[in-house]
Amino acid sequence: MSVGVLDSRNLNGGQKLAVKYFTVAMVLFVAQILFGLLAAVQFIAPGFLFETLDFSVNRMLHINAMVVWMLYGFIGAVYWFLEEESGVEVVGLKLGEIAFWVLTAAVGIVVLVYLFLQIGAGDDTTRWLINEGREYIEAPRWADIGIVAVMLVFFYNVAGTFSKGRWSGVSGVLTLDLVALVGLYLAGMFYTTNVTVDYYWWWWVVHLWVEATWEVLVGCIMAWSLMKLLGVRRKIVQTWLYIEVALMFGSGILGLGHHYFWIGTPEYWLSIGGFFSALEPIPLVAMVVHSIYDAGVHKFKSTNHPALGWVIAHTFGNFFGAGVWGFMHTLPQINLYTHGTQWTASHGHLSFFGAYATINIAFFYLAVQQWRGNVWMGANLADNGWKWKWSMGLLNLGVVGMTVALLIAGYEQSFIERAVEGSTWSGYFAAQTHPWFTEAMFWRLIMGIVTAAGLALLIWDLATIGAGETRPALVIERHEEPGVKAAVVQTA
Amino acid sequence: MIEPVQLEDFFLNVFSAAVIVVSGAGYAGFYAWGKIARRPGFVISAYASYASLAAAVWVLAETSHFEGFWRVAAGLMLIGYFAAPLAIFRLCTAMHAGEHSEHDRPIANQQQEEEQS
Repeated sequence: MSVGVLDSRNLNGGQKLAVKYFTVAMVLFVAQILFGLLAAVQFIAPGFLFETLDFSVNRMLHINAMVVWMLYGFIGAVYWFLEEESGVEVVGLKLGEIAFWVLTAAVGIVVLVYLFLQIGAGDDTTRWLINEGREYIEAPRWADIGIVAVMLVFFYNVAGTFSKGRWSGVSGVLTLDLVALVGLYLAGMFYTTNVTVDYYWWWWVVHLWVEATWEVLVGCIMAWSLMKLLGVRRKIVQTWLYIEVALMFGSGILGLGHHYFWIGTPEYWLSIGGFFSALEPIPLVAMVVHSIYDAGVHKFKSTNHPALGWVIAHTFGNFFGAGVWGFMHTLPQINLYTHGTQWTASHGHLSFFGAYATINIAFFYLAVQQWRGNVWMGANLADNGWKWKWSMGLLNLGVVGMTVALLIAGYEQSFIERAVEGSTWSGYFAAQTHPWFTEAMFWRLIMGIVTAAGLALLIWDLATIGAGETRPALVIERHEEPGVKAAVVQTA
Repeated sequence: MIEPVQLEDFFLNVFSAAVIVVSGAGYAGFYAWGKIARRPGFVISAYASYASLAAAVWVLAETSHFEGFWRVAAGLMLIGYFAAPLAIFRLCTAMHAGEHSEHDRPIANQQQEEEQS
């Protein structure tokens, strides 16, 4: 084992593949921020890159890059702990490697097509080869089929490995969740001539992926991370995972109804969507109780301070982004005005960052620690850890700043465009040119630049943290548990 | 079936919705901490948070013109926010019972373990 240098001999087979996923995830994270900044500039200077790289293209690349880098991060995280969790080598690792290269090549081609072809005639050829046209899942049909095929390989790797090795609560929930992850994507792959029916199924991908399957996937990743980072007992994290899954599915599946308010579905969706959306913050409040309990009863010692810092950021970001910002505008009585305004973008920025980006970044730190030979990443880092602290501060400040700016813009839009002007075309422009809106967009750009600075620092830190470090990582010794090779205790 | 929020109630409506979730977390957090630290002051703060939550639910219901089903939903929300943290705290206590004896086992280092093995 090499200590203090990036050496793939420090990694098992699954972890080597995970590092590839993490690397592409970071590249896509940069792309997300870059295209987001370009789109933010276009709000202030609409002529910027007009007819070269239009706002619609930048926005599409900004959101698609986000969705894909998060998926890369999740897949990487699962490959990372697969061997350790199952106790055996990854089944079909070669196939997994091929799937990675196929997916990455496909993502590269799709991005090039988005950038250089951008649009087509709006016929079947366009749909199959250029852009499917559905917001957030614009990938052409061939790429859709490729994504499903790669996800099936991923499922085979995961289910095959656990079947050969040992099953646990985490692995069981994870494997079942992957079935849903693959299956739900199919709902966004067929067309109907009725736009209401089309949107009905489209939301299955957009909402149920994010508020059901992704949340559960992150729950599994968090469960494993907490055992690794803090030495939490398996029995406890698994019990909480089951509770979280029950609460997420119990509220999240029919919470889908809040997207059905205004697409032409029957009126009963107002009640269903409103009621279940009101339940959606409950899992988050449950987590508050358990976090407080653990903080009060245990004295935390973590193996990796940056990772723990990002896990804590995840807790707050998820609570405020998904819980507070979501519930503020989810009931139909208010959503009538806020739906589709910058208010939605405000909620989207904080909740995606808080719920998903943070946990991926935490995992990147876990990965780099092991990649460098499981070196020390606790307190008293060589440079006092200023880079990870500043990058975390800047990224959080930037995203919170953008969230507040977009909230102000969305509030003004809801007021002027919707409530006062009655959603007319002139109302749209009146809202877009109002000083509140333009000022908010200016500050959104400034905060976007702060976010970009945080990202630059994050990349620098991930590339250098632990370099030359000779101290071994703080060890969290794990008690034997029935059927499990190692569980947890703590050491100083 | 629904009557939209009036323009003059717009801020009150969204603010009260935010207060519901934040007070819900405050109630849960203060309650759990008060019980763990055996500090009655925190438990009182928890109930003060819940009172703020209940007031916010009332404001939300009024400004959203809740009637019929929606009033029932608001009532259920009040009950749910009150009971859920209590139930979860009991669950935490039960789940962690007997844990300390396990955690009191001697501290060891992975390298030492590897050397021994």
